[in-house]
Amino acid sequence: MFRRQMMAIMIASLTLFPLTSYADARVTAASALVDKMISDLETFLATDTGEESFRTAEIDRVLNTYFDMESITRFSAGQYWRAANGEQKTEYGSLFREVLCGTIVRNFDQLQGLAYTADAATAKGDKFVIVSGTFTDTADQRPAVKVNWRVLTREGTAPKVFDIEIENLSLLITQKQENVAVIRKNKGEFVALINAMKDRLENPLHNDS
Amino acid sequence: MMTGKLHMMMFDRLASLNACRIAGKSVTPIVLGAALALSACSSVPVEERSDVRDRYEGANRKVFAFNMGVDSYVLEPVAGAYRDTVPDGAQTAVNNHLRWASLPSTTVNSTLQGKFENAALATLHFLVNGLTLGFADLAADEEEQISKEDFGQTLASWNVPEGSYHMVPVLGPRTTRSLGGTVVDFALNPLSVFGTGDVVQTVNAAQAPVGAVSFRAQNFDAINDVKYNSLDPYARTRSVYYQSRQGLLEDRVARGTASAVSEDEFDSLFEEEIN
Repeated sequence: MFRRQMMAIMIASLTLFPLTSYADARVTAASALVDKMISDLETFLATDTGEESFRTAEIDRVLNTYFDMESITRFSAGQYWRAANGEQKTEYGSLFREVLCGTIVRNFDQLQGLAYTADAATAKGDKFVIVSGTFTDTADQRPAVKVNWRVLTREGTAPKVFDIEIENLSLLITQKQENVAVIRKNKGEFVALINAMKDRLENPLHNDS
Repeated sequence: MMTGKLHMMMFDRLASLNACRIAGKSVTPIVLGAALALSACSSVPVEERSDVRDRYEGANRKVFAFNMGVDSYVLEPVAGAYRDTVPDGAQTAVNNHLRWASLPSTTVNSTLQGKFENAALATLHFLVNGLTLGFADLAADEEEQISKEDFGQTLASWNVPEGSYHMVPVLGPRTTRSLGGTVVDFALNPLSVFGTGDVVQTVNAAQAPVGAVSFRAQNFDAINDVKYNSLDPYARTRSVYYQSRQGLLEDRVARGTASAVSEDEFDSLFEEEIN
């Protein structure tokens, strides 16, 4: 009886070990990706000239290097992605990237003077790893901000950042729900989202106070 | 980064805060009544809603436009001037006081939810900082964070259904449940219970507008970014409100230790690959 129980425990351990080890490897890879990205961003901030074209080019490079833009683009359109034709998908992808870059460039100065501290990293299911960290203001003028990097880790492909959660608010889900709202308000027409994005890019209301 | 700040903005606080401060006590019942009356008369069919949870979207969007008008003509200019002219130390003191004023509500609601440690911590902070009416944070060195609890969260812990989404004039987004909670929380303001002297009454009366201005000033750029650069500021506000509220209900926002986002949200990404 005892021997049978021992055998069962051993078999279970041998079966689960590779899973645990794979999860650990994903967590390590995701953490390394975020560390590398932060280091890259710090270099970028240190050499920033303040020129919009320079910033746009650098942000575009960071997005390409560290973010899974294809999955992000697809997810951000929600269920309506399937309804879009090839041309619409291409156009939307291009506009989405432009809007995203514009948002980051517009708010770029807020990144100055921040220091990043890595916290824990945890596997979420078999596809995501949440890498947590904190941004603190070196001048102590702004409160610390908790950030979760949701990294997509799929077997056979390099890990890439899929979403950023700031104080537990997902930027991607927020964008997706806004996009879906625009489409639903226009009777499910995907082209309405494309037109709204074009309109916003061509006619920004203002801000930059 | 900034976009996230923007999110923290209207929502984290707009949602959980005593935004009643904006209106002032005497106006609050009227505002709440108006919101419910508006909502009651105009349910939108599911297929016409931009979010299935938003049953009264037509009326809500009108109220949102009104709120944006109030922001443009009153809050934004005043908050801009406040941010630029009031010294940082004074702004911090105001923030401390507003946080202190919400502690009795946190104490009561933590107790009702069985979170006794949080209740004790809130009580301790309230008593210690009460020496300065909360303007100075004498317990700032304490490492433990107080998790803000409101009556809406208490109702959720008692399994009261969330209800519909409402955009309340001046107060901002609420679910039916959190709107009910707001009324109770409002009654728990310490100055409304104990305040009798002239100074106390003046401070109490000033809390509403000052709180609104302070909040707007703290999140000035973030709110402007949503207001002026979103494709649909109304939908964005609603999305962040729900996420923020969910985080509070799961006690994740204050601690910031885990993702508050439901994993179900991401299933669609993989459904696409499977099909």
